[in-house]
Amino acid sequence: MAVVAAAAGWLLRLRAAGAEGHWRRLPGAGLARGFLHPAATVEDAAQRRQVAHFTFQPDPEPREYALETQSPLPRNFEMGQTQKMNLFQSVTSALDNSLAKDPTAVIFGEDVAFGGVFRCTVGLRDKYGKDRVFNTPLCEQGIVGFGIGIAVTGATAIAEIQFADYIFPAFDQIVNEAAKYRYRSGDLFNCGSLTIRSPWGCVGHGALYHSQSPEAFFAHCPGIKVVIPRSPFQAKGLLLSCIEDKNPCIFFEPKILYRAAAEEVPIEPYNIPLSQAEVIQEGSDVTLVAWGTQVHVIREVASMAKEKLGVSCEVIDLRTIIPWDVDTICKSVIKTGRLLISHEAPLTGGFASEISSTVQEECFLNLEAPISRVCGYDTPFPHIFEPFYIPDKWKCYDALRKMINY
Amino acid sequence: MRKMLAAVSRVLSGASQKPGQIFEAYNMAALWKLPCIFICENNRYGMGTSVERAAASTDYYKRGDFIPGLRVDGMDILCVREATRFAAAYCRSGKGPILMELQTYRYHGHSMSDPGVSYRTREEIQEVRSKSDPIMLLKDRMVNSNLASVEELKEIDVEVRKEIEDAAQFATADPEPPLEELGYHIYSSDPPFEVRGANQWIKFKSVS
Repeated sequence: MAVVAAAAGWLLRLRAAGAEGHWRRLPGAGLARGFLHPAATVEDAAQRRQVAHFTFQPDPEPREYALETQSPLPRNFEMGQTQKMNLFQSVTSALDNSLAKDPTAVIFGEDVAFGGVFRCTVGLRDKYGKDRVFNTPLCEQGIVGFGIGIAVTGATAIAEIQFADYIFPAFDQIVNEAAKYRYRSGDLFNCGSLTIRSPWGCVGHGALYHSQSPEAFFAHCPGIKVVIPRSPFQAKGLLLSCIEDKNPCIFFEPKILYRAAAEEVPIEPYNIPLSQAEVIQEGSDVTLVAWGTQVHVIREVASMAKEKLGVSCEVIDLRTIIPWDVDTICKSVIKTGRLLISHEAPLTGGFASEISSTVQEECFLNLEAPISRVCGYDTPFPHIFEPFYIPDKWKCYDALRKMINY
Repeated sequence: MRKMLAAVSRVLSGASQKPGQIFEAYNMAALWKLPCIFICENNRYGMGTSVERAAASTDYYKRGDFIPGLRVDGMDILCVREATRFAAAYCRSGKGPILMELQTYRYHGHSMSDPGVSYRTREEIQEVRSKSDPIMLLKDRMVNSNLASVEELKEIDVEVRKEIEDAAQFATADPEPPLEELGYHIYSSDPPFEVRGANQWIKFKSVS
């Protein structure tokens, strides 16, 4: 918050400088101008990035893939009545189902009462009352600590952290308290009914503090589960699984998909199992692994590879970061011999390093090429340099090509 | 009449210096008028640092700011009982949270590796032990008011010593848990969840 104030102060000074005629040409001043003067001209608008780095690709009708792939949805899974929902609507639907099914469930966080900054909780307060959907003060540590307390009494706590970038004040509570509660008390006590939801990942204009992907920090903590969906259908099923799971879970929602991703989602509740990766597309030459928004990027890379190189790619969505599905990934690598992992988070210490390390332990002799990781740079998430920072399809394609030609 | 339960939250004086957590809790409790008693057990030292050297204000009972606070002599058992009664009644009446600072003392070091005398004098420890020891104070009170005789209290002493010896004996004689229990209760999972060990060939099962 101090940083925001400092940034605001800096911008105000810039404006003042302009007014007095002491305007200095700063790099990216064109964008700064657009920032300071909201009524931007047409030429300024053209400077903003109009095109996202991915295209959302909904899965084929879930009824089909529930039968065809190794997705463990029951064979007779009936979609039932569905509705076209985008990601935030599917989250609302999941929360609605939860609050209806479980009388002890409560939702809390900053601004959830009016519907949330991403409209994930619209209508819930009216429907379930202010005792079950309420705002908290601006204190992430307090939100999670409070959630742990609720969960320990046995009620279902669904906490919202407004942006994943702000989860760090709560890191101590998550890692030292929530994750260890059951272990340290020898199963006498637990906070398993805690779920923390948080918008995650790049969004095009988020800059340092509205774009982070902190899953790697939590991957290092036994006792919690970290789940990231790639689509509205996945989000609802995974979120319901997290809420019902008897372990504290963190559910990261790719914020860029809140509106960009829309597909038919069942109105009734349903579960998608945790700790199971999904093979979205079968292939024989190289395995591509990603989660969240990046799944759509590598899907495109897979079709590019097929078209330009004649390479058949197996695309896997990891879904649960910890505990992660080692078997599915290893089985795939044993088949293909090549692995490319991609995520937006910085390269060093990112979750791709864990996957890479485990795969080389388990499948060393099956590897035809070094495992490739296409990730963000080891810098804080930049503002104007975002299009250069993110691992877009061209970087992934380039890495894939190098792997094929190894 | 609906019984209101008051939650009791205990904080040691070293921990209350942890920035943020306790104040966020105060804020939320006061904002929502939660029936919560915050107890600060002030034993005057956080590991090796005395409160005078660590806190800008050692009036911990005031640091609830908008939450009313009581300073209680933690060495006097009856005092603590009455103060707790008051605090519980306060919370149950719907007035919101209250803070209790119990002033007490720590005789030994913070841990086995802390001799306890490198940051304070032995005289200080002995003075507290001889003048303010809670058990001694209660004993004197009871004997002087003819509530109990010295012999009856000696019997209790003997019983307590035996109980502790039995417990210590039980603890030392108890067999060590098997190594598999290292992985128990990390996750609640059915079937038991597999946990990786120090190398790729060691696996534990998180049974819970």
